[in-house]
Formats: sequence, structure tokens, C-alpha cells
Amino acid sequence: MSEVELTRERVEDALFRAGYWLLFGIVMLPIVVVFATSFQQGEYLTFPPEGVSLRWYAQFFASAEWLSAVRDSVVIGVGAAVLSTALGVTGSLAVQRSDSTLARVLPPVILLPLLLPPVVIGLTLLIYFNRVGFGSTYLTIVIAHALWATPLVFFVMQSVFARFDWDLRDAGMDLGARPSRVFYHVVLPNVRSGVVISAVVAFIVSLQEFIMALFLKSYEVQTVPVLAWTSLQSSLTPLVSVVSAFLVGVSILGVLVSAALMNIEWLAEQL
Amino acid sequence: MSESTFAWLGERIKRRDAGSVFLIAPLAAFELVFFVVPFLILVRMSLNANADPGFYQPAWTLEAYRAVLASGLYRDLVVFSFELGVIATVIAVSLALFYAYAAYRATGLRKSLLLFSIILPLLTTLVVKTYAWRPLLAPNGVLNDVLVGAGLIGSPIQFAPGIVGTVIGQVYIVFPYAVLSIYSVLSTLDWDTVEAARDLGASRPRSFLEVVVPEALPGIAVATVVSFAWSVGAYAAPSQLGSGAQTTFAMEIESLMLTQFDYPTGAAFSLLMLAAMLVVSLGVMRLLTGSIGGVEGV
Repeated sequence: MSEVELTRERVEDALFRAGYWLLFGIVMLPIVVVFATSFQQGEYLTFPPEGVSLRWYAQFFASAEWLSAVRDSVVIGVGAAVLSTALGVTGSLAVQRSDSTLARVLPPVILLPLLLPPVVIGLTLLIYFNRVGFGSTYLTIVIAHALWATPLVFFVMQSVFARFDWDLRDAGMDLGARPSRVFYHVVLPNVRSGVVISAVVAFIVSLQEFIMALFLKSYEVQTVPVLAWTSLQSSLTPLVSVVSAFLVGVSILGVLVSAALMNIEWLAEQL
Repeated sequence: MSESTFAWLGERIKRRDAGSVFLIAPLAAFELVFFVVPFLILVRMSLNANADPGFYQPAWTLEAYRAVLASGLYRDLVVFSFELGVIATVIAVSLALFYAYAAYRATGLRKSLLLFSIILPLLTTLVVKTYAWRPLLAPNGVLNDVLVGAGLIGSPIQFAPGIVGTVIGQVYIVFPYAVLSIYSVLSTLDWDTVEAARDLGASRPRSFLEVVVPEALPGIAVATVVSFAWSVGAYAAPSQLGSGAQTTFAMEIESLMLTQFDYPTGAAFSLLMLAAMLVVSLGVMRLLTGSIGGVEGV
């Protein structure tokens, strides 16, 4: 290799590295802003923040409005996670083992909500629920979020089930066990981490989603992102940074807890 | 009936567990009741007549469609939404291809950091992703301080509220999803293939364009479709980081539905927009597959 080529390769390498570290910095920047400004002192959001204080955290934990939004978000997130995991896991299992027309038509249909602008889904469900007179706001938002989370669970489980050795299940069936017992004792232990990851993803998707929740909110029930949005309409308050930092924190915690659970399981299996 | 037919039937009956019908039923019912039926009701709603204020008259009329199509304001909104969709998608997907490739090539701590930077924004709500840019892009914000300080610009530029802020915000929203779609495909690519091309004398940019990019095409296609669908429907970025000139169709829908309670017009506008998006997406797909065919033909 000639001297010129070597120099050129070195320049290319340097540019490549500079390029992705620059992008890395830009991607992280807003998250840094959120955490930094949550500790600021002044009334208005400034970056870099002036002064350090916990006053916005104190205000957050003293606010009945925000705390009830946190409760609503958690209730809806858990509901959406349970519903979409149940639907996604059973549906994926069925599609995996069946070649009926329904099993072929269903996957593209459940993918569709992810490809529509959320505003359109929000408006569609708003008209629908007004029409059929669905009482509970909790339930309507859970259903809306499940429309998004179910395809994610479904496709994660498709790849998990694809790696599962179905002869094991057939062996269980041949030995005379009922399908439910076979699922519980043979299939589930092998795909448990996939189910846990799916449920965590569904919970986080619901926790962060805001446009459908905005369309379907009621006076009594509104999620954290919706309340953050409405309070931002009036002023750029550091309180929203506290709430955002809190949301990011909860999500990271969710990921860590599920990772830890799975690792403990793995450890237990090794012992 | 021959013996083999019976054997085939028996095999089918043994293989197909009756349980799979019960397993698939809940999901199918859910999609039917909460997705397919609501959509049919949306179509029906678009055919009702609008009666002010905030009521609709049951009817079978195309009045709402006519109102949307005749409105110059709506035409401007649609044009702007598509422009934003195309610009944000092109920027996001190109940057994502580069970033996904960097993550694919990196090892150890560097790889973890790059992937972490993609996961973290996914755990952050839309509201945060857009509002955190405001102190950075405002006329008295950090970016302007840096640019003026470095002497690159004489006086501060208003990045946000404005078109620059809107595009940055929207690219930031779809970027992680685009990176993940491309990365998931790239991660199955065997590096030896690229090495082989280089051993045969291909330069590094050439081996990237002719080996890596074709391999990543399925991921690039998914990234493009998702980024485009979400950017045409952009709501949070233009309302947080845009000025009045950056009004998108999604913002107008929100106002029609939640402020003006004009359901028929909102429904008709959405359906027209979906039809337009479908046509454009199919056109893009055709273009992409056409160009792939061309490359293969060479």
C-alpha cells in the first residue's frame, strides 16, 4: 500500500470517527438538557441552568395534579402491557402453528396501526368511543396503546418462537399432557425472557405515548405526557424537566429490573 | 379417495391443534372490534353533514370532502406536511445508515455507548424530545451563542420557532427507529463479505456502497416507510418548534376534532391524507425496487 493511500485511509478513519461521535453528542444533548434543567433554580427554563436546587422536585412531589397523572400513566401502562402481551403472545403462538387464512391475514393487519399517523388513530378511536359510548377513559387509552404495543409484542414473540424447538412440545403432547400443561411446563420456560421483554416494551410504549392519550383524555384521567404538554402550552417551566427526568428514570429502571430478573433466572439455572 | 389423501388428512388433523383457533380468536376479535370497525365508522362519519357548532347531521353526502378539497388553506397544509415528511425522512435515513454502520463496526464499550444512545431516546416521550430543543435553538439559545461566539454569524438566527427547529425536532423523533431498523438488518451481515470486496481492490467507500448498502436495503426500506409515515403526520415537533408557518395536517386535525368538534371534516381530511400517503409510499417503493432492479441488471 502506498504512502498516499495510507494517509487517505487515516483521514477517512478520523472523519468517520468524528462523524459518529458528533451524532452521538447531538442525540444525547436533549436528554442532558432535561436532566440538567430539572435541578435549576430559576422560574424559566434556561440552559446551561443557573443555580442548583431541588425546588422543582419538591413542587412535583407536592402537586396532587402531577401525582394523579403519574398514577393514571402507571395504571394505563400496566393495563396496556397486560393486554398487549396476552394478545400478542397467544396470537403469535397461534400464527406460528397454524396455516389458516386468518393466520396469514392477521400479521399485516396488526402491523397497520404502527404505520398510520397516531393523530389518525386518535381521531378514529375518539369518534368510535363517542359513538359506542365507552365509559372508562382508562380503558379507552389502554386499548389505543395496545393497538401500538401488540404488534411489537407479536413480532418479538414471532422471532422468539421461531427459535423454539417445537419437537419438545410435540414430545410433551405425545406423552399425554394437556396443551395448557405443555405450554406452561415446556414452552413457557423457554420463551420467558421474550415475554418479559415484550411486556416491558409495551409498558414503556404506553408510558411515553402522547398523541392518542391527548385525543382520548378526560377531565379526570390524563397521562403524564399529556399534562406535560398542556402545561408547556402556557410556559416553559423546569417542572416539565423534572417530570421528564422522572419518566426517563422509570423507563431505565424498568429495563434494568427486567434485565436483572432474567439474569437472576439465568444464574439460578446455572446453579 | 386414495390412501395418500387420507394419510395427508390425518397428518393435517394431528398437526393442527384445535387450540390454535382459540389462541388466535382474542387477537383477531380485538383487531376487528377496535381497529377495523372504528375505521369503518370513520368512513361513515366522513359522509355525514357538518352542523355547527360541534354537531353533525346524519346524512350521505360528500360535502366534507368537497370542503377539504376546495380549501386553499388545507392544500397548503398538505403540501407542507409532505415536504416536511420528505425532508425529515431523507435526513433521518441517511444519518441513520451512517450511525447504524458505525454501531455495527464498533466493538466493546464503544458499541454499547452507541446502542445506548439509540435506546435512551426511545424511552423518552415525544413531548420531552421536542421541548428540550427549545433552549438550544432559541434566538438567545446555546447554538446561537456558540455560532456568534465563533464569529460564524453576525447576529443570532431564529432556528426555533421556525422551519429549522421543526426539521431538527422531527428528525430527532424518527432517528432512533430508523437506526434500529437498519442496525437489525446490518447485524446479520458477515464482515468477511466486505473484506473480500476490499481484497479484490474495492475502495472503502465503494465497498460500502456496493456491499453494505445493498445488504441493508430491507432495513433502509423499513426505516424510510416508518420515518415518512410519522413525519407526514408530525404533530409534536411543528407545534413545539415551529412558528405559525409550520402548521401540519396533524395539527389541523387536532384543532378540528378537539377545538372545533367538526367530526365530518376531520374524518374526511384524514381519509384523503391517508390516500395521498398511500399513493406516495407506493410510488417510492416502486422507485426503490426499480433502482434495485437496475443495479442487479448491471
